[in-house]
Amino acid sequence: MIRRYVITFVFIVTVNFLIPRLMPGDPFLYLSVEDGQVNTSFSEEQTAYYRSYYGLDQSLLNQYIRYINNLMQGDLGTSIYHNVSVVSLLAARFPWTLALVLVSMTLSCLLGVLLGSLSVWFRNRRSDEILYTTMIILSEIPPYLAGAFLLYFMAAKWQWFPLSGGISPFNEFSLSNAGAYLKELLWYGALPVTTLVLTRLGGFYLITRNSLVMVFDKEYMKTAKGKGLTTARRLFRHALRNALPPILTRYFMSLGMVFGSAVLVENVFRYPGIGRLMQEAVMTRDYVLLQGVFLLMAVSVLLMNLLADLLSKKLDPRVS
Amino acid sequence: MTTREEFRGGTHMHVKKWFVAGVLMCALVLAGCQQSNVSDAAAGQAQETQTEQETPTDQKTQEEQPKNTVLRLAGGDTGLPNPFRHHPRGPGMAKMQLLYDSLLEKNEEGLIPWLAADWKMSEDGKVITFSLVEGAVWHDGEPLTAEDVVFTYEYYQKHPPVSNSLMADGGYIIESVKAPDSKTVQMTVRQPSATHLANIGFMRILPKHIWETVEDPAAYEGEDAVVGSGPFVMDSYNPQQGTYRFLAFQDYWGANPRVAAIEWVPVSDAVLAFENNEISLINASTDVLARYENQPDFTIDSKHSFHNYRLMMNMERRSEFQAIELRQALAYAIDREGLIEKVERGSGAIGSMGYIPEANKWYNPNVKQYDYDIEKAKALIGEASHTFSLIIGNDPKEVRIAELMKIDLDQVGITLNIESVDSKSRDEAVQKENYELALINTGGLGGDPDYLRVTYADEQATGLASTIPGYANEAINRLATVQRTEMDEAKRKELIDQLQEMIAEEVPMILLYGAVDNHLYRPAEYDGWMYRYDHNKTDHNKLSYLERNDQ
Repeated sequence: MIRRYVITFVFIVTVNFLIPRLMPGDPFLYLSVEDGQVNTSFSEEQTAYYRSYYGLDQSLLNQYIRYINNLMQGDLGTSIYHNVSVVSLLAARFPWTLALVLVSMTLSCLLGVLLGSLSVWFRNRRSDEILYTTMIILSEIPPYLAGAFLLYFMAAKWQWFPLSGGISPFNEFSLSNAGAYLKELLWYGALPVTTLVLTRLGGFYLITRNSLVMVFDKEYMKTAKGKGLTTARRLFRHALRNALPPILTRYFMSLGMVFGSAVLVENVFRYPGIGRLMQEAVMTRDYVLLQGVFLLMAVSVLLMNLLADLLSKKLDPRVS
Repeated sequence: MTTREEFRGGTHMHVKKWFVAGVLMCALVLAGCQQSNVSDAAAGQAQETQTEQETPTDQKTQEEQPKNTVLRLAGGDTGLPNPFRHHPRGPGMAKMQLLYDSLLEKNEEGLIPWLAADWKMSEDGKVITFSLVEGAVWHDGEPLTAEDVVFTYEYYQKHPPVSNSLMADGGYIIESVKAPDSKTVQMTVRQPSATHLANIGFMRILPKHIWETVEDPAAYEGEDAVVGSGPFVMDSYNPQQGTYRFLAFQDYWGANPRVAAIEWVPVSDAVLAFENNEISLINASTDVLARYENQPDFTIDSKHSFHNYRLMMNMERRSEFQAIELRQALAYAIDREGLIEKVERGSGAIGSMGYIPEANKWYNPNVKQYDYDIEKAKALIGEASHTFSLIIGNDPKEVRIAELMKIDLDQVGITLNIESVDSKSRDEAVQKENYELALINTGGLGGDPDYLRVTYADEQATGLASTIPGYANEAINRLATVQRTEMDEAKRKELIDQLQEMIAEEVPMILLYGAVDNHLYRPAEYDGWMYRYDHNKTDHNKLSYLERNDQ
């Protein structure tokens, strides 16, 4: 299994290297302006200078070798657009996205499981139907739309939450104001997290519900009922435990998709994660940064898959 | 004995009640927590804005304005603001220019003395002598001398800064620079040109004592990497949040800063942030203007953006464009007023076919006008019908412009096949001349009219705009070369006027329109916003933040 992951990793690294270079567009060409922008334009000499500075004038193979070499030493290169090392850029921004993703995934998982269990409890009743329909509707709302909606009502209109950012401007972390800092982090992160939770909730609910329904039909559940166990005990002690593997698998697999939604949500709320970074990198054809960001995402997703594999094996040793 | 149903129902009812009660209790508790947290936080936030609001709204006039105004503007990471690290796009350059001074500055009319109190140019235009001001110091207290200036221009030759206007015709425009004494700098240029004064004068001076030991300026991370001699000092910079804070430099040698600090903060929606008093200035779209028009609390300055959408024709790939009748027909056939109405809701200015826009002081009003006239267009085209492919970016405005043009040109027998790609790909297509027709929005039209030479003359482009493939006009080439070395401004104006008339007649490129920016702010809070003769993004202009004593 480890060998499978290693091969995948090598493949990803190579594709990561090739893709930015295969895209049309030149990182040093700034011909057009967008509204509100001012461009500096580079002369031919400057472009040639920068090209050699970043090693882009060498053959593809040479660049690849150099890239792998640097990668081995943990050097992801210097961003062409930002002029700082890619590692420092990622290290500064990734924790924000990671926190957003983990918190919202966990919350939506817990909430989804709870609601799914409730739904099974009230199976074939009115409340189940209502819940089911609501969840289906929620799961279809695109994250960008949900975010804009929350932004307008909760931040702009009723002013319960701040309009943008991850922390109030110019607020630096120090041990003395750690409590206040944490409180602010939660306050600023509330809306982005809520958006992501809302969009993921439906999925977890459905899979919990379906999984539980399948488990309830099993023979051992009849036995449990025959033994006279309460519904709560049957539901949470026996059924849920056996229904867990698909839920957990979904949890880890979703992490990849949630990164994508997180990017959109970060844009709506100007949250300082890698979402903006990735968008800028694509727009400006910053090869070096693009490679770094994609590599990071790919590694995260691979890691999550690995965790999912290991965990499901632990939960249910029958899984091969 | 109770039936199975009753038994089940019984347990169910009992458990269900318990469960629902539990959930409801949790919800109540959570809501309660949230309320108190939120009201605390909201109160805190309100208090913050309250104190900020109190200070600015006290002032009424410029003289009475005490110097504790804090300006807040929409932020975003534009790089470390020194000449080597700011981002090439966006207002990164403007932030850097607040921290670093140049020899000359620009106001509404033209060049004004700055670090150079006075300057003289030799008869042949090859030697420029600058006399420096007294009392200029660096942020770290060291005095600024002619040695810093000499060092700067030599350093820039070896280490080009991000914004570099010291290169021309493939070489460095300065041949030598020396300091006969501590207050005088003498520069000798390779080839005289009317553009040198502004190009040289607007470069930022570096402190020699910091940069003389730095081999790789783009990687320099020292504490003093943003030490300049400008009216503001950088107090804080957070790249992830995109926040900057500049404080007024108390020992500034020149015009006093009018504000105590400038803060750039992240903003998700500019209009909402402006409404909430979170930022002081925005470039408002026409849709929201109605809300703020004709109100004493708000001022709207409508200024040309110095950008212009243009339709480029590749005469090499499609030789039909060599025929002047076809080009003129295209110019007559496109309803440019209509474009402004439909795409910009009226907030735009028709492009002059002589290239230089009306807002630029070099504009010639006598150039040929191409009012929307379908009949004239049809007469010029005759019976022929054509099909061309048009490459555009994926900005929604560009798409709309292309569609409207397609409808217009259909009426004169020209069919457009529109191809929309992302802007980088379109830029590359234009640079590699891989197009038939291209729609592109470029800027810099406020600057020196030498860009006419770069755009229309048959020479190597310097990257400002792509040359027109396949187009060569002897008269334009000659005139464009001559104007460059004409030092007398009145004579040069005549040449530039002539050049514009020629270009408008030939119309090798169709200038569509330029967007007009609407700068919206509260005059009671701050009213120092000014507009340079060549740049109308008021928050980029240094003099917007300083007391004016040059008027």
